[in-house]
Amino acid sequence: MSLQPATVIVGEGTCGIAAGAKEVFNTFRALLPNAEMKTVGCVGMCHQEVIVEIIDKRGEAFLYGKVDKKNIPSILSYHQGEGELQTDHLIRSATRMDGADYLTRQTRIVLRNVGQLDPKSLEEYRQRGGYRAIEKILKEDISPERIIEEVKTAGIRGRGGAGFPTATKWSFTRSAEGDEKYLICNGDEGDPGAFMDRSLLEGDPHSVLEGMLIAAYAIGASRGYAYIRAEYPLAVEHFGKAIEDAREAGLLGKNILGYDFAFDVKIKQGAGAFVCGEETALIASIEGSRGMPRIRPPFPAVKGLFGKPTIINNVETLANLAWIIENSGSAYAEVGTEQSRGTKVFALAGTIKRGGLVEVPMGMTVRQVLYDIGGGSSTGLPIKAVQLGGPSGGCIPESLFDTPIEYEALNATGAIMGSGGMVVMDAKSCMVDIARYFLEFTQIESCGKCTFCRIGTLRMKELLTRICDGEGTMEDIDTLEEIAHQVKASSLCGLGQTAPNPVLTTLRYFRDEYVAHVEENRCPAGVCKGLITHTIMPQSCTGCSICERYCPVDAITGVIKKPETWVIDKELCINCGMCVEVCNSDAIRVE
Amino acid sequence: MGQNSLAAAVDKLLVKQWIAENGSDASAAVPLLQAVQNEYGYLPREAMDIIVSETDITASQLFGVATFYSQFRLDPVGRYVIKVCHGTACHVSGADRLNTALRQSLGITEEGVDTASNGSYTIEDVACIGCCSLAPVMVVGDETFGNLKGADAQRSLKKHARRHGEFLPGHEEEKAEADAPQKKSSDTKKKEVRQ
Repeated sequence: MSLQPATVIVGEGTCGIAAGAKEVFNTFRALLPNAEMKTVGCVGMCHQEVIVEIIDKRGEAFLYGKVDKKNIPSILSYHQGEGELQTDHLIRSATRMDGADYLTRQTRIVLRNVGQLDPKSLEEYRQRGGYRAIEKILKEDISPERIIEEVKTAGIRGRGGAGFPTATKWSFTRSAEGDEKYLICNGDEGDPGAFMDRSLLEGDPHSVLEGMLIAAYAIGASRGYAYIRAEYPLAVEHFGKAIEDAREAGLLGKNILGYDFAFDVKIKQGAGAFVCGEETALIASIEGSRGMPRIRPPFPAVKGLFGKPTIINNVETLANLAWIIENSGSAYAEVGTEQSRGTKVFALAGTIKRGGLVEVPMGMTVRQVLYDIGGGSSTGLPIKAVQLGGPSGGCIPESLFDTPIEYEALNATGAIMGSGGMVVMDAKSCMVDIARYFLEFTQIESCGKCTFCRIGTLRMKELLTRICDGEGTMEDIDTLEEIAHQVKASSLCGLGQTAPNPVLTTLRYFRDEYVAHVEENRCPAGVCKGLITHTIMPQSCTGCSICERYCPVDAITGVIKKPETWVIDKELCINCGMCVEVCNSDAIRVE
Repeated sequence: MGQNSLAAAVDKLLVKQWIAENGSDASAAVPLLQAVQNEYGYLPREAMDIIVSETDITASQLFGVATFYSQFRLDPVGRYVIKVCHGTACHVSGADRLNTALRQSLGITEEGVDTASNGSYTIEDVACIGCCSLAPVMVVGDETFGNLKGADAQRSLKKHARRHGEFLPGHEEEKAEADAPQKKSSDTKKKEVRQ
């Protein structure tokens, strides 16, 4: 009975929980009262949720995906010596690696622990070498300047999106005058489509905290804030626990680990404002004001929170630091390319076969990420474009998929590295609609301080809405482009400066789609509601009436079982698509 | 719209306790409002008045903060809030349709209204929940539902209502639900969990 499960490990990140991880956990516990049950953060294979690792009594590990309450008995029967190995669900075992491409092609530095340890256990983090970096610094009395030098050798640049060299930023604050300095961990991950910070804070909070300790030591800060989105309750909970446990263990507070170094951290929950990802706006928010950016200089590194020198580092940047100190800056610099060192974590989503969190060395091409790791399109339709960098980024067309993942190379396409959202789109996504979607977002999120951003984004949104409704003119497209350039040039902060990117890149690569909307009154992807119609095709219709019952505006009428009588009233129809979704016989045509 | 009947009775001692915990200087504004909203689901005027009179925060500052951040609401909400994710991945996979379907289930027709007339549910659009590979996603109370089509959203809401002793206003939908044939494909794909 050596195959008997000794330990069962269930991935419980937010997405795992949403996919049913708690229920799976409880089912295993009920079925295996003697096995040790553990939970870990999200390993990043979102397409395989719920993910369960079973370690048998010989110590062999089996990683299973897409586990639910119903298929647990058949998975378990193999381990109880009765049934077959469930290869459909097996992602990886010692002898089988078929499904493991997704993991083996990655280079995991930042995500080294995520999905491997219980995020609520300080003990497990220490067993995996945690807090050794800060201990080494204190024990060997390595000077802050040496740490900055090491990080400079590593060549790491800010992972929040802008890509400013971390060591350079630190040295400004290190040399700034002041009795008190602050360190802020920026966990206000506002880009729709990005969730790497959430995953790190949920799945490996101690590595972020250790990163904060190293950064604080380097710049001479004694107080830190972790600014975390309120929409991430589990991240707040796990990071809060990490802070408490670390304080208890003498890793935070006065005389850390018995040495002359003091630092403590407080969590500040964001309240939902995209602009607070911008440093000066984030500071205003912590100070209790409306989160509006201010003119720089003075830069926060010199004059920031409460007027004191302040460093703001992104969660992912911080999570790299312990690794860099332990393995040396030059080891880190060996990964990646000349201009962009190390790795970057991306949140792969959209019409992709294997979506989730992926960490790749800089220099890998977009195509490699999409096809070698992501497994290509999930719909059978070819991938048309990939959106990088959320509302501040842009859409890269298929023809540019060989672009390497580097700050400068991606900027040259008009997109940006951004915080790491990577949303894949096939022919059924309308590029004009995507541009309108992001403009709607930035227009709402604009803080209103700069006229160009406040009014320019609104005018752009209006123009895009007109085009999507089929009421646009060719002149509108030119106006749109002109305003886009003005907003980019005349806004104070990153929000306004980058807000036009989704429009400019789609205009650059998918201008034909704009023209089709305007000149042919046609949405090639069949998305824009003003340009499509829904029609019931009697030859396929069975007259079941399900569409009538789900139509929110009562636009569908007909007699049951008489297909030829069923019609959609074009006047009433709002083109919401509910009928298409519920139709059992594919009888509704969208054109 | 029955919104006034949803107004909360504010406990002054509770507000004072939050002030004691979070401090009374300007930087306490956001955490204080978060505490108020946690308790009442929105920011009752009375609670804000108490904060202004008991702390150094001015009325204009507090109101400025309350109206700046999208988390804060000045109107009462239903007993449960439905957060419909409108992240990029959810948008391209039909998040708008969830809104249409949910509004239909809750009998909300008036533009600008987002709470059902019986005070049961409030629909709220949120930027991104970060479960992109389960798109489109909604969170009802604290239960997350993913891989939803419009009809799935209605069914999940119905289930939630049944489990929590709520009922959905309007009868047409209930009838439709009882009559609607069981859908195969989307039902098996749909994931659901109680937290």
